[in-house]
Amino acid sequence: MLDIRGLSKRFGYGKGEVTALHEVSFSIAEGEFFTLLGPSGCGKTTLLRLIAGFTGPSGGSLVLDGKDIAAMPPNQRPVNTVFQSYALFPHMTVGQNVAFALEAQGRPRSEIDPAVDKMLTLVQLLHLKNRKSSELSGGQQQRVALARALVAKPRILLLDEPLSALDMKLRKDMQIELKRLQRETGLTFIFVTHDQEEALTMSDRIAVMSGGHVQQIATPRELYDRPANRFVAGFIGESNFLSAKASAGVVEVGEGRVALADAPDGPVTLMIRPEHVVLSANAPDALELQATVAQLVFFGTDTHVHLVLADGTRLVARVQNALHGGQSLNEGERITISLPAKALRVVRDEEVAA
Amino acid sequence: MTGADTLRRWALALPAVVVITLFSILPLGVVLVYSFLTPGDFGNVKWIFSTDGWFSVLFERNIFDDTIAISDANIGILVRSIVLSLITTLITVIFGLPTAWFIATRPVAQRNFWMFLITIPFWTNLLVRTIAVQEMIRSDGVFNRILLGLGIIHEPIQMMFSNFAVLLGMTYVFLPLMVLPVYAAIEKFDFRLAEASYDLYASRLFTLRRVILPLIRPGVIAGSILVFVPSLGAYVTPRIMGGGKSMMLGNLIDLQFGQGRNWPLGAALSITLTVLVLLALIWYTRLTSGRKERNHG
Amino acid sequence: MAKRSFDVTRLPGTAVLAVACFVILYIPMAILVAYSFNSGKVIGNWEGLSLKWYGSAIHNQAFLDAAINSLILAVTASVVSTVFATMAALATTRTEKFRGEGAIHIILNQPLMVPEIVLAIALVIIIGQIKQMTGYNGLGFLIAAHTTFCIPFAYLPIRARLEGMDLSLETAAADLYAGRFYTFRRVTLPLLAPAILSGFMLAFVVSLDDLVMSDFLKSPGQDTLPTYLMGELRRNLTSEIYAISSLLLLLSVLIVAGSWVATRKKD
Ligand SMILES: Nc1ncnc2c1ncn2[C@@H]1O[C@H](COP(=O)(O)OP(=O)(O)OP(=O)(O)O)[C@@H](O)[C@H]1O
Ligand SMILES: [Mg+2]
Repeated sequence: MLDIRGLSKRFGYGKGEVTALHEVSFSIAEGEFFTLLGPSGCGKTTLLRLIAGFTGPSGGSLVLDGKDIAAMPPNQRPVNTVFQSYALFPHMTVGQNVAFALEAQGRPRSEIDPAVDKMLTLVQLLHLKNRKSSELSGGQQQRVALARALVAKPRILLLDEPLSALDMKLRKDMQIELKRLQRETGLTFIFVTHDQEEALTMSDRIAVMSGGHVQQIATPRELYDRPANRFVAGFIGESNFLSAKASAGVVEVGEGRVALADAPDGPVTLMIRPEHVVLSANAPDALELQATVAQLVFFGTDTHVHLVLADGTRLVARVQNALHGGQSLNEGERITISLPAKALRVVRDEEVAA
Repeated sequence: MTGADTLRRWALALPAVVVITLFSILPLGVVLVYSFLTPGDFGNVKWIFSTDGWFSVLFERNIFDDTIAISDANIGILVRSIVLSLITTLITVIFGLPTAWFIATRPVAQRNFWMFLITIPFWTNLLVRTIAVQEMIRSDGVFNRILLGLGIIHEPIQMMFSNFAVLLGMTYVFLPLMVLPVYAAIEKFDFRLAEASYDLYASRLFTLRRVILPLIRPGVIAGSILVFVPSLGAYVTPRIMGGGKSMMLGNLIDLQFGQGRNWPLGAALSITLTVLVLLALIWYTRLTSGRKERNHG
Repeated sequence: MAKRSFDVTRLPGTAVLAVACFVILYIPMAILVAYSFNSGKVIGNWEGLSLKWYGSAIHNQAFLDAAINSLILAVTASVVSTVFATMAALATTRTEKFRGEGAIHIILNQPLMVPEIVLAIALVIIIGQIKQMTGYNGLGFLIAAHTTFCIPFAYLPIRARLEGMDLSLETAAADLYAGRFYTFRRVTLPLLAPAILSGFMLAFVVSLDDLVMSDFLKSPGQDTLPTYLMGELRRNLTSEIYAISSLLLLLSVLIVAGSWVATRKKD
């Protein structure tokens, strides 16, 4: 339904020119929960503002339901936003805030009132309808912002880090709530966050961004299992990186070697998740390496084992804590570890900002 | 706080309190007293109680047959003062609000320059500025010279000494007083709220009416009071621009103490003017403190 | 550049009205200044460029006397009112409420609530009596009157600043064994200085600006710049009026520019 083609955005001019987005392209399907994930300053808000119409693109096209909307002012786009600051109208009640879009569209009162009540019921705030919006808690404001943006049934709902101002507990609740709302309404959500966990748990698909580029677009599972490049691997979950040499489908790290069909010849970077590192020698079809246990960090359910390889490369392994002690490692101990070929990924370097 | 501390603080404030009491509050009390006395023969008063001063604010007694009639002259001036002040306030809003908006939406680096342009007239002598507008509409002033020069008119238009002239003069001299508080309010306005409004399908006009104006209202009200109060009590500008033809209350008061030789009437008019100003100020305080209560309560 | 994008800060028509506003504000002043360089005697009747009327002004003893009176008045009234206002502001801030605090605040703002013409008339009545009784005719009456209406103008910025000031600084100084006066001199006063300066400037300009009060209270020979100008306006309309007006305009430009430079440096 939404097709973004080669969309770029530059701010300023001459020496002060900043490119916030580099020819970003992707499509979003009807009813999808689509997340933009990336570190601060990577251009998430800029992309959202382009879709909402608060700024115009420097190039590229923005096609919604077959129509180019790049030049359409925001008040004509069937797209609504939940602002990071909520931007609730402080001089209006909760009910007036929610009714705003319908009033602006000139809908009749007989249509507005039931729609507002229905929306407030959906976000469980009907009892606060006549409260001033400045007299609400953070979580309540969040819900009002949501109801206000949903009431006019937008084709796409844009959410710019809507949960970042909430505390941990409320945030978890709202994550579930948001997901429920999205399922119930069947609306398309574009959700911005810099919290990878939030992105992984909520999204149908995620676009990982950095430096104004989209690094990878995939389902959460795919992103975690098959990160397209070193940036994505590092940003999503924890990862270990190893420098290796590959030739004819065999990779070599120090004394260890293993067959890895998709490795291109030459120097490559390998990635492995901490939970896939095996702290013993007898794993079949694995890269076996000597390592020193540098530090053990207890985390309750599991222990992080910090390892140093012969060449100085640092790795982290995560082992579940068994009920009765289990294997006992000591700091300073030298052990053999194995990295199963199944868990090893060859990662490219990421596209960087020009 | 201890008694000694309270005393120390009173002592610190005393010089200012004494000066104002002696030279502002006390004289005002004397004016109030004078309004209940009998006019002297050559100005001043006779110490005989009388309500004639107050009576003649609104009425006049025919000296031949003692009939009582509404004083058209005084009421005319009273009404003119209020109406011209209201219109002045309205015109300054019409020009001041867009100007404040314009300045507040310039890049930060440019705003100082524009504010500088507003502050200069604000700090310039009122008389000088009144002389400057007068030059524009005098019978051989700029406008008439231009119109005559272009052959549009053949005789100068008499613009001075009219309600129009007073209105023009007051608008000109009080305009900066409107821009300053409205600018301060718009500068505090969160433009993300305007974004939210446009995002929710509002037009420019709808956004202005429903989001922007309600939120910058305190600034507009403050500006209105800052323009209305000195307009109502204006003396210099109406004297130069309106002359004897288009007098305001301030000029009428002056007249009673001067040529009119009716000090009690002048005193009663002075108290009337002061009360009108106080009413405006009370209305303003009500309006602003009422809002605060609603915000907290 | 791509298509013009939507600008939320734009309101159609505001730019036009704003430009109109600046034009309205500046055209009359510009014309006044232009005519001050007129060589003709009749105001507004252009006869050629000349500095003649500036020359005539600075050799005009009445004008010079008025300027000196204005200066004496403005300096005395603004200094005295600023000192008194500072003391009063110190008395009514940084403390829990005390008996009479509200009364002090209202008294200090009282001159602002009364139209200038009313205050002037009120003072004429009283001062007229005193003049008759004592025979004193000096500038003292004008100084007292100007000080009175200058006090609230000095008081407001100083009090606002004190209210916004961090009390803990004074407490910290007291904690470090500083005495009351030492704390005031080394901590409070330096922090307050910009507000005192702006209070002083406001009082100075307000005194310089005053026409009504001076016109009603002055004894013969006590013309200030505005009253002199007003008299000339009535008596003889010559181009000299515009030269003097332009000089006053220049003075306010200098004052505004000066205060901007002063506050900019502080930031
Ligand atoms: N109005 C602007 N003028 C100039 N540069 C801008 C403007 N808005 C954004 N930028 C720049 O564009 C880049 C992307 O900004 P953007 O706000 O989109 O980041 P973000 O991903 O939303 O970051 P965050 O997580 O901190 O909100 C940044 O380098 C920023 O400095
Ligand atoms: Mg952002």
